[in-house]
Amino acid sequence: MTTGRTSVGIMPNVTEGCVADAKTGVRLATRSDGASYGDDLRDLTSLAVQGDRTAIESLLTQLRPMVVRYCRARLGRVSGQYHIADDVAQEVCIAVLSALPRYRDMGRPFASFVFGIASHKVADALRSSVRSAVPTQDLPDGPDEGPGPEETVVRYIEAEHARRLLSRLPDNQRELLMLRVVSGLSAEETGNVLGMSPGAVRVAQHRALARLRAMAELESIA
Amino acid sequence: MAETEAILRALSRREPVAVTDEAVRLLAALIDDVDQRCSSVSITPSA
Repeated sequence: MTTGRTSVGIMPNVTEGCVADAKTGVRLATRSDGASYGDDLRDLTSLAVQGDRTAIESLLTQLRPMVVRYCRARLGRVSGQYHIADDVAQEVCIAVLSALPRYRDMGRPFASFVFGIASHKVADALRSSVRSAVPTQDLPDGPDEGPGPEETVVRYIEAEHARRLLSRLPDNQRELLMLRVVSGLSAEETGNVLGMSPGAVRVAQHRALARLRAMAELESIA
Repeated sequence: MAETEAILRALSRREPVAVTDEAVRLLAALIDDVDQRCSSVSITPSA
């Protein structure tokens, strides 16, 4: 089920200013074979902007999992479920879809555009009172083939622990780790989204992980 | 820094990673959690 938060809302302002600067190609995520999605995604985006329905569907198919993971990691669960985060991810995809006709490729990776929208939508969701609206769980249609209750609880507790530690990092370090680890972007892609060089990303991620380690160690001692 | 990059790259690619400390273990747990049933979330563009 969903909570019905599927309205597009305020569409992002797509201007040259927000898509300019970077010279690198699009490579939204690393494929399992190590190849690049970049050229595919650039071509797809170009076709999608022109209204090609197949390209739009393919583009969403590639974008959605990364957006869902990002929103889930940022927003967490409500009543043990990811309904709210998944609804926000859907809003992000709808916003991207709605903004496509106005999107102009000025060289900056499409990922910057997508995760810029995602970041704003997540911030809106965190500010709103929607998290207090608790959806009820659908009854399963068949046997649950997922992990058992004990494993689910352990995973939930550990994920919440990770989220809590990440929330104590400075905003830029938290966003960097979310994009790199959860959304699966490379150092180069993360740098393009955050306006940093790949080298600066590697330095910052090293500091972020060191800080996370220190916090985790302190908690284990306490 | 090279070790950090290797760890984060492995996590981002969902490859096995040597869990050397609590922070890496928790990041791996977070990934496991957010990846859960990602494929069940669907969106269909309207005409």
